[in-house]
Formats: sequence, structure tokens, C-alpha cells
Amino acid sequence: MPSDQTAVLADVDSMLRGVLGDFGPDAEIALDTTFRDDLGMESLDVVSLAGRLQARYGNSVNFALFVSSLDVASVGDLTVGQLVDYICESLEKVPAAS
Amino acid sequence: MSMVRVNGVDLHVEEVAAEGIQRGTAVVIHGMTSDSMASWFLTLAHPLAQAGFRVLLHDLRGHGHSERPPTGYSLNDFVADLDALLTDHWRVDGPVHLFGNSFGGTVAFSYAALHPDRVAGIVAIESAPPTADWFDRMGSKLARVAETLADAEAVANSRPLVARRVRAASQLLAQTSLGSELPTSVLPVPELITEIRCPVLCLYGAESAVKELIGETERLLPHSQHVVIEGQRHTLLIKAPGQVQAHVLSWLSAPALKG
Repeated sequence: MPSDQTAVLADVDSMLRGVLGDFGPDAEIALDTTFRDDLGMESLDVVSLAGRLQARYGNSVNFALFVSSLDVASVGDLTVGQLVDYICESLEKVPAAS
Repeated sequence: MSMVRVNGVDLHVEEVAAEGIQRGTAVVIHGMTSDSMASWFLTLAHPLAQAGFRVLLHDLRGHGHSERPPTGYSLNDFVADLDALLTDHWRVDGPVHLFGNSFGGTVAFSYAALHPDRVAGIVAIESAPPTADWFDRMGSKLARVAETLADAEAVANSRPLVARRVRAASQLLAQTSLGSELPTSVLPVPELITEIRCPVLCLYGAESAVKELIGETERLLPHSQHVVIEGQRHTLLIKAPGQVQAHVLSWLSAPALKG
């Protein structure tokens, strides 16, 4: 499973575009892209993103725990980079399958 | 995303699995128009799961990702959806804790009035049982929202996120009969509400008018507990989730009946 930033960003990019559908951005999604102001994400989109992260990474990435540590306003202020970093850190903690 | 068909309508449902020692089932119900399951998912859903509850969420009909039929928005329709989900989809065994935000709390009280033996406890945030006074207030609120939304320029000039949420509420009121149907719902008779014997915790924002309904709720449910949180408005759940969580978790650990 990829845990380098570029591969995770590509994963997150595709998940975000899946969640946002027709509301998705025309521009590139980068590490400094913000959930609310750049992507126009609503809180319900975050629920959908949680489902996709679970499907992609299973229990190794606990996005629910991550978002519940933020208040609802801060979820909007999140950047894609913060999410990517959290995923990379979580994946590094998972023991590599031999 | 999980969709379930009940009462002829496709509803969006989610579930957060309990951790640790199992303490039962918590059903969390969101409020009217621009609300969705997200206000629970991002606030109390995971703390409740960590406290040992299986947490069940749904988007009310017409809201979030659930289907939006043109009609069917009386109180009984929302209560019937909850009943069908619990019985046919989630197949819950034993009484549940119901958590409701604003109108979601009213759905919780209404369900408990019809099925008092199936409810172990109620937490109502900025809410009230289904009384004529409360439905009058909701009716006026819906009328005011519809009026604001008619001001296209104000909507267009609002920030993008606000605009999208306002559009969602606007579309709901324009595309459905909710605005006329809900305020004229047939309400449970007060005698049924007084039959609710489970522990009840009600939380209010000090800056919101909903706390004016405390007296009537206490008359109907003398055992209910009421907490007013300073500095908060009707958005109590999403603006002060930490305080809500602290009150709820402490109440859950000692939900003794008052008096």
C-alpha cells in the first residue's frame, strides 16, 4: 500500500472528485487546497469521504477519529495536505505485511 | 454510501460500530431543511461509539442524500421512517437511546410517545416534544426561511458554502410540500407524551428562543432534565460539541430519574 505523499495525494484527489461529483473542482487538487473555500465541501461530503477512506484503507486510517478531534468549523478549514499527512502517518504505523 | 428503501422512499443510512463494552444502541436524528446526518457524524457519533454505543444515522426524507419525494412530510411520515429503519433494516433488539437535534428531537419524542417500551432514553438538543406551540414556531420559521430564499440577490451574494446550503433549503421548500405539510401535522395527544417514562435530557442554547418551551416540556414530562448552555444559539450541537458531549456522557452514566 502506498504511503508516500504523491501516491496518497492521487488517492485523495480521486476520492474527493468522487464525493463532489458535478460540484468537483476544474482545477488541480493540491496539498494547500482547502476543503471549504477551494472545494466547497459541505459537512455531508465529509461523511461520504469517510466512507471512501474506509473502503480504501480499512481500519488502518481512522478518519472518524481525526475529524472528531476537530470542531465542525475546523473541518472546513482543513487542507488536503493535512489529510494526506494524517493518512501517511497512519499507514506508517501499520506493520508491513510480510 | 448505503441506501435503504423504506415506506417507498430511499434513505441514506450510516452506522458507527460500538467500541469496548457494549452499552446499547444510539439513534441520532438531525433537524429540518439545511441539516443532515453530518451534524451528528462530525460531533457526537464517534464519542458515543467510543462510549460503547452502536450509533445509527440516517438522512431524513428530503434531506442530505436521501430521496426527496414531492409530498409526505408530516410528522408521522418521519416517525414511520424511523420505525421502519429500526424494525426492518437495523433490526434493533431492545430499547434504544434516541438523540435528536431540533426537529430530530421532536421525531424522537413522537416515536417514544407511540412506542414507550422501545425507548431507553431521549436526548433532545434545542428541541421540544410535538406540541401545538412548537409546531406553530416551526411553521413561522419555515415561512421566514421561504421568504429569505425568495430574495435571490441575498442568496447569490452570500459566501459559497452558505449559498450552497441555502440553495439546498430553498430547493427542499420549492420542490416539496414540507413547508405546508409539516406545520399542519396531526400531533400525538398530550396524554401519549406524558406516558414517556424513560430518562429525558434536554439541552438548550441560552441565546435561542427554544428554551421558552422548557416550562411546557416540564409540565408534560416532570422527570425530564434541562440544561441551558451560555453563549450558544440554535446551532448548539455543531458550535459547542464538546460541551454537549460532556453533558450527554455524564447523563448517560447516571440517567437517574429526577424527583
